[in-house]
Amino acid sequence: MRHSKSFYIKNYLNYAIILVVLIVFTVLSLTGSAKLSTLLLLEKIAISVILSVSLCMVVGFLGELSLGHAGFMCAGAFLGGKASALLEPVLGNGILTLVISMLVGGFIAALFGVIIGLPALRLRGDYLAIVTLAFGEIIRSLVMNAPTSWFGGTLGLPTPKFNSKYLFIVAFLMVLACLAVTQNLIRSKHGRAIASIRDNEIAARASGVDVTKYKLFVFTVSAFFAGIAGVLYSYTQTRVQSVNFDYNYSIEILVMVVLGGLGSINGSIIAAVLITFLDVELQTLLPGDLAVLQDLFYALILIVIVIYKNAPGLKSFRERYNLRKLLIGRFAAAADAQSSTDSVSGKEEE
Amino acid sequence: MNKMFVKILSLCLCLVLASGALVACGNKNDSYVIGLSGPLTGGASVYGTAVKNAAQLAVDEINAAGGLNGVNFTLLALDDQHDASKVATNYASMVDQGMHVSLGCVTSNPCLEFCTLSKADNVFFLTPSASANDVVKEDNAYQMCFADGNQGSVAADYVNGLGLTEIGIFYKSDDPYSQGIYEQFKANLNSSIKTVEALFTDANTSDFSAQIDTLKGCSFIFMPIYYTPASLFMTQAKGKVADNATYYGCDGFDGIESAEGFKIAEIPQKISMLSHFNSKATEGKAGDFIKKYTEKYGTETLNQFGAAAYDCVYAIYNAMKAAADAGENISPDMTASDLCEILKKQFNGGFSYSGATGENIKWQSSGFVDKTAIAYVIKEAN
Amino acid sequence: MDFLSALINGLSSGGTYAIIALGYTMVYGIAKMLNFAHGDVIMVGGYTMFLTLMALGHPLVALAAATVFCVILGVTIERLAYRPLRGASPLAVLITAIGVSFLLQSLAQIIFGSSPKMLVQLQISGGITLGALSIDYSTLLTLAVTAVVMVVLSLFVKYSKTGRAMVAVSEDRDAALLMGVNTNAIIAITFAIGSALAAIAGYLMLCKAPSLSNTMGAMPGIKAFTAAVIGGIGSIPGAMLGGILLGVVESISYSVPALAPFTDAVEFSILILVLLVRPSGILGKMRREKV
Repeated sequence: MRHSKSFYIKNYLNYAIILVVLIVFTVLSLTGSAKLSTLLLLEKIAISVILSVSLCMVVGFLGELSLGHAGFMCAGAFLGGKASALLEPVLGNGILTLVISMLVGGFIAALFGVIIGLPALRLRGDYLAIVTLAFGEIIRSLVMNAPTSWFGGTLGLPTPKFNSKYLFIVAFLMVLACLAVTQNLIRSKHGRAIASIRDNEIAARASGVDVTKYKLFVFTVSAFFAGIAGVLYSYTQTRVQSVNFDYNYSIEILVMVVLGGLGSINGSIIAAVLITFLDVELQTLLPGDLAVLQDLFYALILIVIVIYKNAPGLKSFRERYNLRKLLIGRFAAAADAQSSTDSVSGKEEE
Repeated sequence: MNKMFVKILSLCLCLVLASGALVACGNKNDSYVIGLSGPLTGGASVYGTAVKNAAQLAVDEINAAGGLNGVNFTLLALDDQHDASKVATNYASMVDQGMHVSLGCVTSNPCLEFCTLSKADNVFFLTPSASANDVVKEDNAYQMCFADGNQGSVAADYVNGLGLTEIGIFYKSDDPYSQGIYEQFKANLNSSIKTVEALFTDANTSDFSAQIDTLKGCSFIFMPIYYTPASLFMTQAKGKVADNATYYGCDGFDGIESAEGFKIAEIPQKISMLSHFNSKATEGKAGDFIKKYTEKYGTETLNQFGAAAYDCVYAIYNAMKAAADAGENISPDMTASDLCEILKKQFNGGFSYSGATGENIKWQSSGFVDKTAIAYVIKEAN
Repeated sequence: MDFLSALINGLSSGGTYAIIALGYTMVYGIAKMLNFAHGDVIMVGGYTMFLTLMALGHPLVALAAATVFCVILGVTIERLAYRPLRGASPLAVLITAIGVSFLLQSLAQIIFGSSPKMLVQLQISGGITLGALSIDYSTLLTLAVTAVVMVVLSLFVKYSKTGRAMVAVSEDRDAALLMGVNTNAIIAITFAIGSALAAIAGYLMLCKAPSLSNTMGAMPGIKAFTAAVIGGIGSIPGAMLGGILLGVVESISYSVPALAPFTDAVEFSILILVLLVRPSGILGKMRREKV
């Protein structure tokens, strides 16, 4: 076990790396030497990371399968986006409008999180998964078919847009905020209570863990950040459209969490970065007639990675040709020993 | 875990940097790059494929004929899956690859996004088929197709003149094309005409029994939708909707008679539409286009979207040529913004074009197109 | 009368949902996995029918060919994509299933192109009229096929040796293995049956609406999964009930103008309401969690 009072630099390494990336690109962007495509990629990556880290709380730490994360994002994007559209004439398209609408979007999504957390108290596993999927689709359908003056109907809600030179900075700061909240929550006694619900709910309840409170709490926090990601997303678009928030998007976020290794925040971050990168590259590298190959590559990569990472039959193969071992050679044993005692990331290779 | 994290994240960082984070130093192209974003995969891909094919056809022809004063054109077509959130990435990639001028997007929603993005860099675009009114709200944007509002009101005028007391409307409520025409149509329809309405969404694009039930008493059904669901509706409505009824559509109906497997002769009702392209033409510019297109790509994706895209490429080419002939300095080294100013001057200054989708086509400075619609009976009642 | 015809339309689309849901429910009950690619097997069946109709021309031959091909496909998918993951986390299996679903859709698009194909040869038009009410032959066919499929499946599971083995595997896979049941074979058979049902469902869908595209199975798949959960996943009569219920709700919702745009929301709300009252679905087994 970790000595909770001591300061371990490795616990803060992920912040440091993200901060370095942020500073490097901020400098590049402000001096005008970063390309638009890079800035857009960074925006997308930041939004994906917020989504996957927040979903990781529900799926990886609470152990509940949610297929409705895009629904929370949708609520945040439309209600936060509506707020920013209303505020823009008053406060201008500045950071203040963005912050207020992020709060609005976040809190409204959190409210939806509470609503969806309630069935989670009664339902388990795949039943909860389909209910969350249903919730996401309901939110989407309501937003899409609401009167045009509310949410823009089929053309989508016109929202203010931020210059790409600056938006990614805000998005990265939100990544750091999301990471701070999640990581501190997981490493606190509340985090251990939450993990105990995942591992054995009845035992947790018997040991005096307030299961109801924690379940609702995790859903709420997770939805809050999804809402914020939604508002950020609305700032990347001229119009926000509900079609983007269908269950396939929820699935894509889930894929990031699962590929990252359940219960590993850093894993979720890496998977979110890689998958977003892959998406964008496949989209732009395959023009014209080759475009039909995008989904094929994506599907094949997905299947191969999941089977490679998880198949019990490939365990010895995995151990022999381990990427980590190839990278850091003989220090691997030490690293393995470390990660297996790490209570946070121990879950993935069960 | 953390060590791996460091390694992999630094790897990612390298990837991002390696993918070319820094601004490329100007356009180093030796040809004019035409950017296009459209649904090349997914549910709407038949339209994107048609536009890409036809634009490529026009580009190939122009290049074979020597290009613009010896400089060739290149078409850069990227896939947006009819999803506006993918457009920004495509646009940025086109800019990276030195786009000079664009066909915008194929479908309306993505094109609205494209409009905002291209305005920031002042890139000229002429969209073949994105028909929402707002697509051309910026001054760098022009349309080759009719705007939805325009089609809705033209169709309403036509229906008002028929002396009907009750009509049916069948539309797709989650599609801006359909919804846009529907709203304009309703707004311009005489209030004395009663309407019976049925709609559908993406979720049930194939089974229309419920909608047919609603509409089966109508003798005139207005369908501002694309031909695939329309042909399905008609096939399923056989024997339910009266045989002497009329189906009336907008340009989305174009190509319905060649919809794969659709036996139009077995549909008893009359089918007509409002359009700018006659896909059965055998002569004139439309006929030429159809011949060339089907020789190369077959009939499967032949439709008015492609015809409009073919016209777009030629219209841009003609305008550039006219400007060059008038002494403007046009070369592949110039920025998209400079070219945009030149093209805007042409398009706003009475430039006219004749092609597969109309004769003597002109543009308003608002970006809307001025041309005559063909009122076209696809099939008389049996 | 409008209500009555909406009801009958609903029974018909509900029947199709029910058959797809049966496939979902059996695979879930026995392999304990959400087979997200189930809807896409329907699509593959549709394209097989398309090809056979081109070559041979008879709808029933096409159906037979599609059934055979879907069975082979289902078993192959199980063998290549799901079996290696037996014993791994259920989420890993879920993600693989999603990957297989993407794979089938993109392969279909690459092979058959993007524009929808019409299969009018399969369409059954006409119907019988009872007073002001008319019922399509395709509706009657769907209902008849649904009923037959359910009865045959129930009898099969209840009385055949394989069926009993399926129940055993679904109750406790390890115990069944110890009792000499070849669980791998049983799971493969389940996938075969599920895929055959998908082919039949595809046939019924195409009888009513003869349009074929690479995403034709996706939404019906999700709806049918919803139906299976409403009825109680793992239960054969439950899948039936859930399918019919969902179809009727959908059709009635479409016939009410104010509700029509919100039909998806209405259907999914029904799911949530049912699960709030009965967390295991209408006919699902209530299981108390033991320590």
